[in-house]
Amino acid sequence: MDTLVSKYANSSSAASFDNEEHIGDSLTGWDAANQFAIPAFDIPMVGNPVDFLRAHTDASAENRIRIQHGTTTLAFKFQGGIVVAVDSRASGGSYIASQTVKKVIEINPYLLGTMAGGAADCQYWERELGRRCRLYELRNKERISVAAASKILSNMVYDYKGMGLSMGTMITGWDKTGPQLFYVDSDGTRMRGERFSVGSGSTFAYGVLDSGYDYNLSIPDALELGRRAIYHATHRDAYSGGSVNVFHVKQTGWEFKGNFDVGELHWEYQAQPKGPIV
Amino acid sequence: MEYNGGAVVAMVGKNCVAIACDKRLGVQAMTISTEFKKTFQVTPKTYIGLPGLATDVQTLAEKFRFKVNMYKLKEEREIEPRTLAHLVSSTLYERRFGPWFVEPVVAGLDKENRPFICSTDLIGCINFAKDFVVSGTTSNQLYGMCESLWEPDLEPEELFETISQSLMNAVDRDCLSGWGAEVTVITPDKVITRTLRSRQD
Amino acid sequence: MDTLFGITGKDFVITAYDSKAVASITLMKIGEDKSRELNPHTLMLFSGEPGDGVHFSEYIERNIKLYGIRNGFELSPRAVSSFARRELADSLRSRKPYSVNLLIAGYDVKTNKPALYWLDHLASLADVPFAAHGYGAYYCLSLLDRYHREDISEEEGIKLMQKCIAELRSRMILNMPDFVAKIVNKDGIRLVQL
Repeated sequence: MDTLVSKYANSSSAASFDNEEHIGDSLTGWDAANQFAIPAFDIPMVGNPVDFLRAHTDASAENRIRIQHGTTTLAFKFQGGIVVAVDSRASGGSYIASQTVKKVIEINPYLLGTMAGGAADCQYWERELGRRCRLYELRNKERISVAAASKILSNMVYDYKGMGLSMGTMITGWDKTGPQLFYVDSDGTRMRGERFSVGSGSTFAYGVLDSGYDYNLSIPDALELGRRAIYHATHRDAYSGGSVNVFHVKQTGWEFKGNFDVGELHWEYQAQPKGPIV
Repeated sequence: MEYNGGAVVAMVGKNCVAIACDKRLGVQAMTISTEFKKTFQVTPKTYIGLPGLATDVQTLAEKFRFKVNMYKLKEEREIEPRTLAHLVSSTLYERRFGPWFVEPVVAGLDKENRPFICSTDLIGCINFAKDFVVSGTTSNQLYGMCESLWEPDLEPEELFETISQSLMNAVDRDCLSGWGAEVTVITPDKVITRTLRSRQD
Repeated sequence: MDTLFGITGKDFVITAYDSKAVASITLMKIGEDKSRELNPHTLMLFSGEPGDGVHFSEYIERNIKLYGIRNGFELSPRAVSSFARRELADSLRSRKPYSVNLLIAGYDVKTNKPALYWLDHLASLADVPFAAHGYGAYYCLSLLDRYHREDISEEEGIKLMQKCIAELRSRMILNMPDFVAKIVNKDGIRLVQL
């Protein structure tokens, strides 16, 4: 560094290197993770911020702030890893705001999060989780486990419990211990599991998922089961729809397996035989 | 309106009218049937569309069938669409303080084959229109579609295309309507009803 | 809340109901009959407000039976469901409405076709290939969408019903005791073992 400084000592940019030691000092003492450990939010200047938010997001409120709610998402473990499948509709009340929402959040090449509940809440907190996972990696020179990552998310949102956060998410990935699947929500619930579905259409997805599930499913069969379960949920649940996004989590990280428009998928399924009732 | 979902639209063309509805019956978020029709033939050249609470849709369809039959027996002629509109209106106003939860649409050709369309609110306020009327949970989206697609003096086939595109694209922005559609075009010499294949989500 | 199912097949309808009778948080009885035979080829299943189901379905049953005696022939399932719907719709706007959800399963001996009607507590009537009432509908309608065909045989119908009940047993937080299944076909109504 000294040679660099002397080389540019008489250039105009030298000024910024003059107090290099000073910068060095602050650099060693500065910890990004520490400084941004707790994201700070402006709270409305009212007596009770929780009531304030509720008054403006409630269904009965005039000029209501509408929060995305309807969704179907699912993830399940099987012999070949984990399948994650989601729909892509965003609705505000009964209005369809978008049919092309990305409800799988790619936290990093080894971690996926799904989105149900408040879209902004999920996006923000899973982005924040991605940042923290990266910092963990830099500090410890190894990737964070899915268990630890999901625990970080759970702890973060638990701090805001009762303040109106709304998220139901599944965190999946492949770490040292193999494929992992966790359910985390804004109540503070966090649990490990084999098979989850979250959102307004989840019961419909479960119906198809449970009846077609087998741990020893082949990879194509497992991906098809995930796609099919979401499709059936979009058919029966008014607040789910658009298209199905399918992901496969493998030892080498996650892989995007395609986007299928339900408008076409329905007629494709109608044309093919339904198969035996086992 | 929001409990069962549903949409109806009617349009005027050149010597013809068209009426279209979606086919969903839901209970809030859950779709129960995709074969639930909301338009009914009243006379050979008059149809009525009844979007709203499904139970009242069915009760009123029966009620109007009865009233129109009685009218036919007494008058020994078919009811005119304009007369039907007033019959609908007074039937609804009869329940001013405990209304039927439907917003009917009347579409037809009168005895001179002049197009007639109108809609009413749930207690019978008639809205006559020269171009199009919309009703149901998708009315906002339908207004947008009709305002941009409709033009005067459409021929029956053009009218069919216009009303179909308006309805299908409108219900694609409404969670509670869709799952197929039925379109009826009424011309002086024939009535054509077609079922549309649409998104099923 | 109780669960009702109905599935049509090639030449029959299979129905099922959970036989639980509940009073607030207490399980009063297992083996409660939640169906009534309206005529030899029409069966009505009911759920909802305790008491209302029995009273309403028996009122309909007696009227349908009376029609059979007076006229010497039975009403078709379509006619029965239309009558039941109108009675329920009229009661809806009375001082004391019935609060019942119904499934009407029948076999039309004139057209030789099975029929299934779904009727909710607001008296909305729908003609459907399969139907469910109660929370069970949220799990099983998608399952039925997935596996149901118009031409299933009775054995397949029973298997499908077992699949639905297995799904409820594994997913619903409520304890699901024995289901009672009945089949309606050209020979009439009979109980089947699931």
